[in-house]
Amino acid sequence: MLVEEFRMATTLFGRRRFLAFPLVTASLVAGGTWLLGLTGTSTGAVVAGVHLLVFFVGMQVGTAGLVGRDAMRDVLGDTTLLVFSARTLPISRRRLLAVFLAKDLLYYLALFLTPVAAGFLPAVVAGELDASRLALLWCTVGATFALGAAASLTLAGVATRSRPALLVVLAGVFVGLFLAPGDLVVLTPYGVYADPSAVSAILGFVPLAALLVVGPIAFEPPEGGGVRRVEGDRFRQLQSLADSMTARSLLEVARSSGSVWKVAFSLGILFGVTALLLDRVVAATALEPSGGIAFGTLLGLGTFTTYNWLTGLDNPREYLRYPEGIDGVFAGKRRAFLFLSLPTGLVYLGVAGVWYPTPDLLLGVVVFPLVTVYVFGVTAYLTGLSPGELLFDTPLFAAYGGALSVVAVPLLVAALAYGTAPVESAAVAVALSAVAALVGVALSRRTGRRWHDRLRAES
Amino acid sequence: MPAVETISLTKRYGDVHALDGLELTVERGELYGLLGPNGSGKTTTIELLTGQRTPTAGSASVLGVDPVTEPIEVRRSVGILPEREDPPSFLSPREYLQFVGDVRGIDDVDEHVEEWSRRLEFRGVLDTLATDLSEGERQRVMLAQVFVHEPDLVFIDEPLVNLDPLMQAEVKDILATYCEKGNTLFLSTHFMEVAEDLCTRVGIIAEGELVAERDPRALDAGLLETFATEISGRASVSGDMTAGGEGAEGDGDVEVSGE
Repeated sequence: MLVEEFRMATTLFGRRRFLAFPLVTASLVAGGTWLLGLTGTSTGAVVAGVHLLVFFVGMQVGTAGLVGRDAMRDVLGDTTLLVFSARTLPISRRRLLAVFLAKDLLYYLALFLTPVAAGFLPAVVAGELDASRLALLWCTVGATFALGAAASLTLAGVATRSRPALLVVLAGVFVGLFLAPGDLVVLTPYGVYADPSAVSAILGFVPLAALLVVGPIAFEPPEGGGVRRVEGDRFRQLQSLADSMTARSLLEVARSSGSVWKVAFSLGILFGVTALLLDRVVAATALEPSGGIAFGTLLGLGTFTTYNWLTGLDNPREYLRYPEGIDGVFAGKRRAFLFLSLPTGLVYLGVAGVWYPTPDLLLGVVVFPLVTVYVFGVTAYLTGLSPGELLFDTPLFAAYGGALSVVAVPLLVAALAYGTAPVESAAVAVALSAVAALVGVALSRRTGRRWHDRLRAES
Repeated sequence: MPAVETISLTKRYGDVHALDGLELTVERGELYGLLGPNGSGKTTTIELLTGQRTPTAGSASVLGVDPVTEPIEVRRSVGILPEREDPPSFLSPREYLQFVGDVRGIDDVDEHVEEWSRRLEFRGVLDTLATDLSEGERQRVMLAQVFVHEPDLVFIDEPLVNLDPLMQAEVKDILATYCEKGNTLFLSTHFMEVAEDLCTRVGIIAEGELVAERDPRALDAGLLETFATEISGRASVSGDMTAGGEGAEGDGDVEVSGE
């Protein structure tokens, strides 16, 4: 499986681009830590943020082997992975899943997590982080990734057995997060980093070990679930509202695993993280940040996941057979993207109204759609119909990260400065996001031609 | 004006010559078969002729239109069946064909869907998600999307793959009837029986070069033996010429295989 994963990545992205990824990761972590240090953010806070990020990457990676052969074939062509071989090899599915999980942990430990830890070396040299803490960081970051992967596998396993049970588990996690976030953190590897002791090690690693065992056992494959028939004329109904490409994209999102709820879930995570960050900023500094600008910006950036859901099942070459051109494909994707992400983001902004004043949140209502239009333009232009290739395609990853940062960083600075200069901050935020939206529209217009030519020329 | 014409059509993928100076003419109303082993350039030829890829050199004309400069126009008037592709997993066959019909600008697409689902015998699964269809049912849906807009010319890459013998006979009949109406069929296959049963002319391709063109009835055992020897020598492949094409043993097919 390790050989398989390595060959798949080097085939997709090219050997050099792929192997440069660890270097870029380490550089990004080092640069980010240094830049955040300039804003007064402590290294400890950066470490906490890195653990959170790694946890979500682990969750994403943990589900990769579970999407099913059909979905994999839609994206990668006629591809067969060993993890799908339970029917033809004398190995149980559970053992295959366990090996798949172990492979992911080893693979990402070498190519992603070790570079993440190495990114803190400059902080050690500068005396901001103890060398012994760096070794612990490497362990806990690796374990946090494993926790994310095992958690997503377990959640998928629970979902394959009982949807109500999944809802109960998720509700329990969310209630725990809101009522006693500190208690939940103790049950993660980060708790070991924050307070290294024998007791915290037991509390921090035992849940991980339990999930690593339960995940592969709980999972039942989606195959054999019977034949699903389509009721009503949904395609025609949606088509009458927009066009056939939009209708197709929306139906594919709605009928694949997680339905449209996965859009709400992804943005919900961003909403929670933003709320947490704003809470920490208010508690640790004298700043009075703008919730509207912060939520609008980060929820807008988070719509990248919506784009991912909308294109996850696409085989770009299919569209080269039709007389519409790729322009029409991206236009349909754009409508479906806005249809899913705008109402979802606005609902979260409405929820934020419980804690933040309405005038402030109105800024978010302006900033969020504009940033969303920018994110669509940049994502479609740079990644086409394969946004998943961002991971490990080093130059693309750097270009995409840079394009988002150019807009996101000034907007977040404006959000932080809102308490001291509200009018100026609001003006800068609205003007910047409006310019970003215009750039997004311009990129969208060029996307179809660019990808039509690239797909025809590719080998 | 021929239906298809290529002049020195060449495609390279890095150092690999997928197609090397292909010279080909297919007249309207012909059933032309491109026969060759795996990796010989058949799929690349179809992709170049339908504007899905751009050639490294040379030119082509499809129904009088240049697929390099006007790919959309070419795709508007032809039907394409790619090798190894399924309908979208989370659409039903009805929805997929409605989608294709809409993209192709057909007004009475629902009538065509009914007609082709009846002819290709998948009416019973018209509203089943494609991910839950059998391989054969998916292939039938893919065949239907080729004809749903009644094109003048169709390009078909391995038409009978995954179909049972009865459905293979039905599809052969559909293709023959289609050409009797003056339409043109360009198919690629590595199964001799398919070319022999369906085509009025067969081009033999190996290592991206057109080796010979024959009336399929002239493709007797002696010629095939010569062809196998030639391919073995040119492509350094096994030249495995076995009876039993389309995966069925002993039915008299001759399969040309080998990478």
